[in-house]
Amino acid sequence: MKVKAEILRTYQSVHTWTGICAGLLLFIGFYAGSLTMFKHQLQAWIAPIPAELAAATAVPPQQLIDKAIAAYPQAMAKGFELDIAHEVPYLSWYSQGGARGMNLDNQLTYAFLNEHGELTTHVAGENKFADLIDYLHRSGGLFGEIGHDQLGVYVLGIAALLYFLALVSGVVILLPTLTKTFFALRKEKGASRLWLDSHNLVGIVSLPFHIVIAFSVFVFAYHDFLYDGLGKFYGDKPLFNMPPKTEQPYHINDLPKLELLLEKAHAYSGQHTTVHVSYNRLNSPAPFATLKMENPSALVRGPDTDYLFMHPYTLDVQNSSFPQGVTGTWGNTVATFFSLHFGTYGGNWGRWGYFLMGLLGAFLFYSGNLLWLDKRTRKDGEQKRSTLFMAKLTIGVCLGSMLGVVVTLVLGKALQQSAFALNELYLWIYYLTFGAFIGLSFWLGARKASVFGLKALALGCLGLPLATMFVQYTNPYAVSWLDSIWVDVFGVVFAGIFLFAASKTKRRSQSREASSIWSMQVA
Amino acid sequence: METSGQVQAFQADWLSKTLAGMLLGLALAYVCIALFAWYGPGGIDAQDKVQFNMWMIAPLWFSIFSATYVFRTGKRAWLLLGIPTLALYGVFFLLRSMA
Repeated sequence: MKVKAEILRTYQSVHTWTGICAGLLLFIGFYAGSLTMFKHQLQAWIAPIPAELAAATAVPPQQLIDKAIAAYPQAMAKGFELDIAHEVPYLSWYSQGGARGMNLDNQLTYAFLNEHGELTTHVAGENKFADLIDYLHRSGGLFGEIGHDQLGVYVLGIAALLYFLALVSGVVILLPTLTKTFFALRKEKGASRLWLDSHNLVGIVSLPFHIVIAFSVFVFAYHDFLYDGLGKFYGDKPLFNMPPKTEQPYHINDLPKLELLLEKAHAYSGQHTTVHVSYNRLNSPAPFATLKMENPSALVRGPDTDYLFMHPYTLDVQNSSFPQGVTGTWGNTVATFFSLHFGTYGGNWGRWGYFLMGLLGAFLFYSGNLLWLDKRTRKDGEQKRSTLFMAKLTIGVCLGSMLGVVVTLVLGKALQQSAFALNELYLWIYYLTFGAFIGLSFWLGARKASVFGLKALALGCLGLPLATMFVQYTNPYAVSWLDSIWVDVFGVVFAGIFLFAASKTKRRSQSREASSIWSMQVA
Repeated sequence: METSGQVQAFQADWLSKTLAGMLLGLALAYVCIALFAWYGPGGIDAQDKVQFNMWMIAPLWFSIFSATYVFRTGKRAWLLLGIPTLALYGVFFLLRSMA
């Protein structure tokens, strides 16, 4: 397709500058997003469920609820979580902190029935590893808060807009040559060309995924503002109809049996199974219950499951992430956007698919930066200070951030039984590793730092099974390591991948390819 | 607008084109969604439609934004986005005032 030269040039600039501004943040958002696909597996790997909890007795959950209400009426009335996904039910409530916000010092009290049917509690700090991965994904790891959201979330929202512009401009500049070189991966024309071809191929093939991610990230960050603006056009019409409030507070002693709640949920959708119920504010005039509903054979709209919101006393369905019937058209369309972002369709295949797409997305930003650096070096004929700076920053941020997570996993698991406050420990390890590697990258230069970083990543991934063995050795009966064996297996697989990348990068840096950021003359 | 028939040379006009895409693009996206909200399928009262409407603002805005660099000059970008924006706001408030 023919596109005017000046328009091509304009979009080339748009592509470059949006990519350079947003690329590094998006890199972190994407690879961490890939990890969130398996954050529960990673959570179970780093902090396995305590043995005494695993040895609790299988009883009808109602028995457990009744005994817990009798023993801890106050705590239970504030709200509690009931897990019924497993044969052995257990419930928990916050004995310090709460579910809202990002408190690192939350304490949970777990309650279950021991082998004699007696109520037993176990107090533990809430292990937030999965949440921290999620936080890294949503904020890029940027600190600070605005209102009820993290600063990083808003920054990533802006980055998502730049990313959309980068996508469109990337497609525009490819239009003239798209049909000729689409599937071409030209190895013989040098490494630079191969990187460019791969960058283009990944970008075009995963374009629909990227478009959905771009605008959903923006909506996740700015929905409050978008609704405010929309409200101006709605005039006197309220955007949302609030359910009528009752004045009379309810009381936990009148809580209907769990069975009745589950029956109502089943009547709402027969295909779903309730795996988790969260009861909130049970002694207030406005109590609510949130049910997590699993349906492995269909698309779900939350990060893991569908949601059903019910009144815990009247058992009315108040809202759900999967509206039923003819009035559900709009709600279901919106629900689709959520599931397209979260990758919660197609069960485990969808999960793996999104894991890969996320990594390919990260590759898109990494390769985009490197291509630009190579091109600038060729054009200038020498290494300018600004180019060198960007090269060091790119290697430092991309590899450093991944290294940060890997080191956190290994040390976090090894130190699980230590006296440290674990959630804070995770943060310290991540940010220290991240910062140290960026420093190293500026000290060693991009070429040496990238080989070193890739090797360190390989070593770190190999550390995953080693950490498992260490825990098993020091504390043989605490946990069953077999439950999370796949994390160890993939640690080894990724160690291999990083080692391969390290050797490739090293070879390239020795080939003395004319003025590339990889060439030897650049320290 | 150019009436001489002579095609004006392409100018980068980064700032004015970017501002046109950012501001007018958002204004245009909002009024399109507003018209859709009141007069599109289901009308204003359809259940959960407000969520759909909110969601659609971003893709519409982003699309307009990304297209603004096609205009030959920044001035043309402001004119060609500004006129339909004003017209649609006029239509919207006229329709609403008649209701």
